Amino acid sequence: MANEKVDVVIVGAGASGSVYAAVLAKAGKKVVVMESGPDWQLSDLISSDLWGRRIKPAGPPFLLEGKNPVSYGYQGGWGVGGAALHYFANFPRLLPNDFKIKSEHGRALDWPISYQDVAPYYDKVARDVGVSGDAKAEEVWRPAGNPYPMPPMKTFRNGDIWLKGFEAVGIRMVPAAVGMNSTIYKGRPACIYDGWCHVGCPIGALANPVVTYLGDARKAGAEVRARSTVTRVLTDQQGNRVTGVEYYDEKKERQVQEASVVVLAAWAAQNPRLLLNSTTDKHPKGLANKNGLVGKYMMTHFSSGTLAIFDEDVQNHMGTTGAQYMSYERYGKTAHKGAFGSTFIVAGTAIKTSDLGGFANARLDLFGPDLAAFMKRAARGFTRIGAFGEEMPNVENRIELASDKDEFGMPLGRIIHSYDDDVPKLWEANFAEGLAVAKAAGAKEMWSGRGNIPTIHLMGGTIMGAGAENSVVNSFGQTHELPNLYMAGPGIFTTSGASNPTYTIFALSLRGAEQLAANWSTVAG
Amino acid sequence: MDDVERRAFMKGAGLGALAFTVGGAEVLLTPRQARALGVSLRTLTAEQAATLEAVGETLVPGARQAGIVNFVDQQISIPAEEALLEARILNVRPPYANFYRAALGAIDRSSQARNGGKTFAQLAEAEQRSLIDNMRQNKIEGWQGPGGSFVYLLLRSDAVDVVYGTMDGYAELGIPYMPHIAPTKRW
Repeated sequence: MANEKVDVVIVGAGASGSVYAAVLAKAGKKVVVMESGPDWQLSDLISSDLWGRRIKPAGPPFLLEGKNPVSYGYQGGWGVGGAALHYFANFPRLLPNDFKIKSEHGRALDWPISYQDVAPYYDKVARDVGVSGDAKAEEVWRPAGNPYPMPPMKTFRNGDIWLKGFEAVGIRMVPAAVGMNSTIYKGRPACIYDGWCHVGCPIGALANPVVTYLGDARKAGAEVRARSTVTRVLTDQQGNRVTGVEYYDEKKERQVQEASVVVLAAWAAQNPRLLLNSTTDKHPKGLANKNGLVGKYMMTHFSSGTLAIFDEDVQNHMGTTGAQYMSYERYGKTAHKGAFGSTFIVAGTAIKTSDLGGFANARLDLFGPDLAAFMKRAARGFTRIGAFGEEMPNVENRIELASDKDEFGMPLGRIIHSYDDDVPKLWEANFAEGLAVAKAAGAKEMWSGRGNIPTIHLMGGTIMGAGAENSVVNSFGQTHELPNLYMAGPGIFTTSGASNPTYTIFALSLRGAEQLAANWSTVAG
Repeated sequence: MDDVERRAFMKGAGLGALAFTVGGAEVLLTPRQARALGVSLRTLTAEQAATLEAVGETLVPGARQAGIVNFVDQQISIPAEEALLEARILNVRPPYANFYRAALGAIDRSSQARNGGKTFAQLAEAEQRSLIDNMRQNKIEGWQGPGGSFVYLLLRSDAVDVVYGTMDGYAELGIPYMPHIAPTKRW
């Protein structure tokens, strides 16, 4: 059954899809946003780690393989708002050195754009969604830009207590840039520092898509079609243009939505899965995949967490799940001797009891009475800092289709991911420095959060580049092969940097959406 | 709007308790209440429930009374997309009941092989702790089931959830819960 043709169909109602929807709906285009999960409302966002799991993926459409399998359940999104419905809203940006690693170090890849191409969009996004921070303070590490629209957030003892330690090892900390309201902004209330950001902020103080771009898109007439699972992107007989998408509606009935332009904003792993599942006789390897690069160069971040108990009440239940302080002091690719890659450092976060980020998991080796005793100590004095590390792009880290299929007959994806030798070196260097910080800060107990090297923030898979020989899309997210097919989200990152990705996702999506709107007749045909 | 008002402005909008069937009718209870009322299990067998309760109590003291069995049983009896289990976060493939059956079966088989045919629930506390500690470190020879350290992580998370993840658990630790939208029934 076919629906009335629209100007653009956007697959995914998360951070990137919401930006495209807002820009194009405001430009007068007829927009339909397909979202496989529910149409969450703010009133669904219960303050509970258990109930917060409802807004995350249920069951893997992906099989996780390799030496360092990607874990995405905690960070993944399911439903309107996507992962940004429950993100931590840390808003660091990529820095100039991220865009030219190949040129400057002879390894990894260069982006086809520079920091200066993205910087105006960081500033625009800050105004659009509301960012709190101190831009001037950050400018010891990056080119000057606009001030953030709100002053920094409040800090608490669980963050302040670390400052002495950072100073002792020569790491400057500045107020963290976060997508949260330190004051009332655009009619949205200021944060009340209850620390439940990670299960969704029901008052709208945190800049999730529902209260920012997606809300704008709906006001401008965009339709959000929840519980609609896209399984294929469709093309014309010549294979030169996309014509819409196949999807299964809330009754699990097959539908077709024709559109002049298709934007895939379904997450770094799902976008390649869709492209690879959209084979035709003209595209036997899947769409936009003549060069075989769809699904390649999957990247993640890894964190070196330093955990500590101080001999005072640090009020670890207070604050936000985002950081209070941040630093790019170790962001240089060779900042740590013997290791390669950037590090982004954060301190000060509210910590709850359970789930992966809760302090019950701070000592996974403990159980029984030992765990009970630890919980009592930790409830008063536990806090932590984090150092996020950068993984270099590796063509062997990839997504493929599996033989198993989902309920719609679509092959599951296989995410195959292994870290190279650089990663353990950077991980260890950051652990060592973290313990030095904790010691200098006066922690009573301190330890490194070891275990398997974590995989955080999946990126890549449809990377941008200067041409079809080395990439899937151009710098706007437009595929090299099919001019009316766009990719949006972290999948188009050429390299990962070490910064939390969502601010850059917003910025690149805004850049791509504005380019699309400005060139509509050329692109849409 | 001051902080207190704002914190409470949508109080009651959330539905926190779980749906259990009692006497043919669906009622909202916490797992602790469901256990106290002896609510019938829907998916777990009596043997699996005994093992899970003993494992949960070994992992986190208080998990038995907090209703870990009723929690898990209710959660693996509903559609995966409604589940609140850590299994969801740890990428377990639904239906989640399959994982629990396999994990609890592996624990009991290991217990019986090492302890003269005794199931985990029949072991002395010290023996239970020893088995769990070895499972945690993947050190049980002949282990047949999902990875031991993963089983430890997941069942420990369930036990932590029912003991420390609730409003009652926060109160027990002296931590202000401070919800925007409170789960009902202190759950």
